[in-house]
Amino acid sequence: MAISAAQKGIADVRSAAMPPFADVVEIHKAMVFSIAWHFLRDRALGEELAQDVFLELHRHWASIKSPEHIVFWLRKVTCNRCIDVVRRRKLRRETSLEESPEPAMLERVQDPLLSAYLQRMVASLPERQRLLVVLRYQEGMEPEEIARMLSMNASTVKTQISRALELLRAKTAQRLKTQREGEGDD
Amino acid sequence: MTEFEQQLTRALERREPSAGFTSRVLTAASQQQPARPRWQALRWALVLRVAPVMAALLVVVGGALYQRHERVERGEVAKRQLLLAVKIAGAKLHDAQQRVVSIGEIRAAGIEEEQ
Repeated sequence: MAISAAQKGIADVRSAAMPPFADVVEIHKAMVFSIAWHFLRDRALGEELAQDVFLELHRHWASIKSPEHIVFWLRKVTCNRCIDVVRRRKLRRETSLEESPEPAMLERVQDPLLSAYLQRMVASLPERQRLLVVLRYQEGMEPEEIARMLSMNASTVKTQISRALELLRAKTAQRLKTQREGEGDD
Repeated sequence: MTEFEQQLTRALERREPSAGFTSRVLTAASQQQPARPRWQALRWALVLRVAPVMAALLVVVGGALYQRHERVERGEVAKRQLLLAVKIAGAKLHDAQQRVVSIGEIRAAGIEEEQ
């Protein structure tokens, strides 16, 4: 009897703290969709994946304990789904950043264009590094937090992120140099 | 955070999915069944795993019990046959004894008459 009263108490606390499912979708749709979109670089596929993630959340709604748990759960499931999609459908060929082609468009490296350029460069990173960069810079997660979520070593996360940054920085610097040389010739 | 990292953060800022995303999710969610609780799924997994083992065990134990029953039954039949044989042999012996006794008596009577 005492146990059931305690359980009821816990359930009451949970229901008081938990927002309705519709609000959860509204609040977190940008987060889930953006992780998928930045990882897959395919809007339709990103939306499909985000929808699947929310449907899975709906199926497991009873096991969700708190609003913080929702965020953790959504990020984790989205990351796993992204990797599954890439591996299953072979959507993207594995190309290293050095091998990835320069954008064909002659763009001046101004902020919006630099953003688009950086997005393309991030999308060309290897799966794991791409995921870590998205979580670090889109979601603003700390390396320790990412490591906990993806069951990785924190130092491995830091190393992978710094390697990815190094590559991105080198590639961007090279691009800026080429840009300046082009402008100098003019 | 370096300037480059800030640029990266701006490049990777969150985006909204297309309009109507929430209503699409809610419609699809209303049509789906909630997942079975974990203990229920585990229970079924356990039942599915244990059922063949239990069936095999039932067959083995059943077979052993049937064999034992057969053996006891055969023993009972043999016992009844042995008792019958002993009874028949007893009757025969009794007959033979009776004959021997009557022959003896006849002989004794013959001797007495001669004297």
